[in-house]
Amino acid sequence: MTATATTPRVPADSRGPRASRVGRVTGSPVLRLVVKRLLMAIPIMLGVTVLTFWVLSLIPGNAAQQLLGPEATPEDIALLEQQLGLDKPGVVRYLEWLQGAVTGDLGQSIVSRQPVSEILSQRLPVTGEIVLLAFVVSLVLAIPVALLAAHKPDGVMDRISMVVSTLGLSVANYVLALLLVLVFAVTLGWLPAIGFVPLEDGLWPNLRSMILPSAAIGLPLFCFYTRFLRGDLVDQMQQEEYVTTARAKGVGSWSVLIKHAFRNSSFGLITIVGLNLGALIGGTVIIEQIFALPGIGQMLLQAINTRDFVVVQAAVVIFALVAVLANLIVDLLYAVLDPRIRYGSS
Amino acid sequence: MSKRTATYASGDSGVSEGVIDPVSLGKPSRASAAQPGEPLLVVEDLRVQFTRGGRKINAVNGLSYELTPGSMMAIIGESGSGKSVSSRALMGLLPPTAKITGSVRFEGRELIGMPERDMRALRGGDIAMVFQDPARSLNPTMKIGAQITEAVKLHSDLDKKGAHARAVELLKLVRLPAAERRFHEYPHQLSGGMRQRVMIAIALAGEPRLLIADEATTALDVTTQAQIMELLVELQQRLGMAVIMISHDLGLAASYAQDVVVMYAGRAVEHAPTGTLFANVRMPYTHALLGAIPALDREPHSLFEVTPGQPPDLSALPKGCPFRPRCPNATDKCLDDPPLTEHEPEHWWACWHPVGSGLGNDPGPRAGTGPLDPAVAADDPGLADGPDEAAGPGRHHTPNGEQR
Repeated sequence: MTATATTPRVPADSRGPRASRVGRVTGSPVLRLVVKRLLMAIPIMLGVTVLTFWVLSLIPGNAAQQLLGPEATPEDIALLEQQLGLDKPGVVRYLEWLQGAVTGDLGQSIVSRQPVSEILSQRLPVTGEIVLLAFVVSLVLAIPVALLAAHKPDGVMDRISMVVSTLGLSVANYVLALLLVLVFAVTLGWLPAIGFVPLEDGLWPNLRSMILPSAAIGLPLFCFYTRFLRGDLVDQMQQEEYVTTARAKGVGSWSVLIKHAFRNSSFGLITIVGLNLGALIGGTVIIEQIFALPGIGQMLLQAINTRDFVVVQAAVVIFALVAVLANLIVDLLYAVLDPRIRYGSS
Repeated sequence: MSKRTATYASGDSGVSEGVIDPVSLGKPSRASAAQPGEPLLVVEDLRVQFTRGGRKINAVNGLSYELTPGSMMAIIGESGSGKSVSSRALMGLLPPTAKITGSVRFEGRELIGMPERDMRALRGGDIAMVFQDPARSLNPTMKIGAQITEAVKLHSDLDKKGAHARAVELLKLVRLPAAERRFHEYPHQLSGGMRQRVMIAIALAGEPRLLIADEATTALDVTTQAQIMELLVELQQRLGMAVIMISHDLGLAASYAQDVVVMYAGRAVEHAPTGTLFANVRMPYTHALLGAIPALDREPHSLFEVTPGQPPDLSALPKGCPFRPRCPNATDKCLDDPPLTEHEPEHWWACWHPVGSGLGNDPGPRAGTGPLDPAVAADDPGLADGPDEAAGPGRHHTPNGEQR
């Protein structure tokens, strides 16, 4: 045990009184946290679905009217409403939907009669891929840039990153999307302007169709993460005494930044990434519209327009679930990274 | 060197001789660059200036002192007297915005303006530092073992296994109970005193010849404070290193240090061996500091004597002696900066009218009526130059750093 135990992730001496870190994560306190959070998700789900249902019922028009168009006679509409079950009171319709949903049956689209689970299985991967790419790219770029900027505050790199990130933060992502299309699709012709190529048609064609939408979402994120992380790193470097200790040991300035300050700054970064994730899934609505991507956001927009409440509910449930899971993952990551946090022990 | 390293292994059980081969530490020869009898550290006219919001703050103003190898010296002063800043300046730990001038020679090598690369080898190697708050000065996300091994690896050629063994050995040296187990714990699992022991272990990793303890016991309770101080004294004697203890606690200095430097407004105002200093305080500021220590034999319900006034604003220092506005002995003569002079053998002070010079309200400057009493201001020129002449050919630090 002697030499290997100096690296943080390696399990500590099993004879020791403290459980190793790996043991903490898989052990029961963590399981308790997971179960607690998932149970907490139930009232959240009920809340958002009730709210969504209520708001949808306030919007004039229903699916029958939308399907038949403005020329339809009231008799036709009434007939279709009856066929679709739209003539029942709202509470009954919600409870019927809920009954199916708790048994795993999200129902079928009122408009297309397609099962919702089938629609989701087509749409989720698209949105998932955009969001994942945007996050990975923004973080992979933001961390080194923030480290470079924080190494010499007010230095050249810091100033450049400051200008770029301020610019990136002040441009709305749909404006950025249009700019990207203009430059890389229209003028340069390097990348397709719209459309989605599934992964089955090859990795590269798929990635090509995803680069611009991911960039449109990821660039503002990159700017945000860079500013945040740079600020936190500089705070750690200038105010934290453990940084002085490390320097007094003779540790080089880069090592102090990466080994000591970054590790402590990563908690803050993880927090905002987790918060972002929940909000971002919903934020893809506009981007999917611009790039004509068949994702969840586009599905939601269409469903709202056709008053297809079953599909809207499904989208809302997915968004809420992602937000809950993102927060749960953040909390679990704290336990891995920060030794001071031990779930269930106090 | 062999003698020094040999003492590391002795007296500590559980460390096999084979693992801790002193030779394998891989440090270059520790033959001192300085001549025998030379001071380990010579600080001369050290000045540190910060610029904040357009104002220039003179945190250190011509500090001068010398440190004998293997001795323990205390630097005493109130908050803002520059004691911490000056020691961080000599280790190159101040932010780049700090303007540092003057000279600091460590074993004959000039530290001010030394390239960062050389400075880094020195930091944690020949010169190490322990800080005030052990709760904040250890990295909360790293196991203490990793934090010590990091320092060991930086200043030796030991491999992972050797560094681990050495780190455990250091933990035993600072008498951390259950060193092997603590090695795998995080700082938050340790008590304040144990954390400070870990800090000392880190500082010892590079076998320093100078250890700077910056208020190292201030954040600890009194019992732990005494234990840590005893440990520092023991290590100082056992390892033959010099220790500078920075403190605001005169009592602590009197108990442990061999020499005391009293700082005020960024400079040394009195410097003497501890016994000499406390038997024969000359600088009115030191006298006032001593008077501010509560004593058990004080008459109950009597008014506590405090030094009038405030420490000077470091961005607008008064002309002449910085203590002049608060000093009961001050005269017009004090508008001239008094140099730090060796008035008596080994006893340096920077004052025109020291305690006991028979001026104005002496003895007992604390009974003075206040700063710049008109009666006191009537200067006796004959007396004013007295102490300087009495010192004869004694050494002399002027604020400009020249010696004569």
